[in-house]
Amino acid sequence: MRLLAAAGEAGQVHLTSQTRIVAAVLAVFFMLLILDLIRRDRLQERYSVIWFVAGLGMLAGAAFPGLLELVADLLGVRNTNVALFSIVLLLLLGLALNFSVIMSRQAAQITRLAQERAIEQARNQAEQANGNGSSGEQGLQPEEQRFEG
Amino acid sequence: MRTLVFIPAWNEEASVAGVIADVRRSMPEADLLVVDDGSTDNTVARAREAGALVASLPFNQGLGAALQTGYLYALRNGYDACAHLDADGQHPPEEVARLLAEITADRADLVIGSRYHAGAVSASGDYRPTFSRRIGTSVFRFFLTLATRQRFTDTTSGMRAANRRVMALFSKHYSPDFAEIESLQLAVRQGLRVEELPVRMLERTGGTSFLTPVRSAFFIFKGLVVLLVGQFRPRQAEAER
Repeated sequence: MRLLAAAGEAGQVHLTSQTRIVAAVLAVFFMLLILDLIRRDRLQERYSVIWFVAGLGMLAGAAFPGLLELVADLLGVRNTNVALFSIVLLLLLGLALNFSVIMSRQAAQITRLAQERAIEQARNQAEQANGNGSSGEQGLQPEEQRFEG
Repeated sequence: MRTLVFIPAWNEEASVAGVIADVRRSMPEADLLVVDDGSTDNTVARAREAGALVASLPFNQGLGAALQTGYLYALRNGYDACAHLDADGQHPPEEVARLLAEITADRADLVIGSRYHAGAVSASGDYRPTFSRRIGTSVFRFFLTLATRQRFTDTTSGMRAANRRVMALFSKHYSPDFAEIESLQLAVRQGLRVEELPVRMLERTGGTSFLTPVRSAFFIFKGLVVLLVGQFRPRQAEAER
């Protein structure tokens, strides 16, 4: 508590070299994990960029603690701890929103795929009912011919 | 003039065959399509037995996605007009035929069958809305009228008829979970002629309404958000510029 209060008053960063090392190691492990996920096809490259940026941010914060102080000043926050948590929260908020956008796009794609499949099914049923194709042969005909007669 | 009547159905095995037979009887010249919205009961089998074409969505996607499937099918297969009605037996096909007549006469691009319109015919066993539905209806009526500057009485009606302009629009843009209201707003904003026609509706013959008070409240809230967002979508004229 005394330490926190001191940090608040002085506006100085109280990261010991030990915490900086731990943070840097974590950041490196994090980015290695991302690489490994891509390598094993569990994560697509296009969705990994944002995570690399996050990892690099962590690394930068560990390497240059002055950076955090600078950002805290810019935000007008005297307590650098508060600044740190705020930045992380905002970053996570942005990531979550990013995922919602991706999810919405994929939901729309899935819906369209399901609709195409449903329409195709109805077409096949119509063709069989019309006797246009013997069973088994479901060759595509020009659209105009499909439902005439 | 080629006409498609489509029926979105989700777990309506009790009523779907009856509705198909009714539509066949009152509109023998129209083609019929049942859009199965991932039913887990025998809806698909019942509809096929009744002789209807069935477009079956592999999983439940919501009414909007089912209706959009119908519009897309109509557009792709070159129909001049299409109409849809609910599979629960609330919508008499003769009334749907009246909506379609407005489309074939080119008096409107989209016609909505309204339960609440001043001229709606009342008959024995006609439609009586529940309390929570009445509240929702008036809230939506107020805000949709405000948003579109056009008077709508039955914003959630599932009985509609449309021409190819509407098919093209709805097969591209149709909100999957807030179909009825947003689509009206969209059509008006795109400069389409939307018209309401008073119709007679019946009590549902099978299944139960999904609306409980809590759900209704959530439904209304969601609807208002959707309407608000819809006001910020580009209009046709602006989009083309």
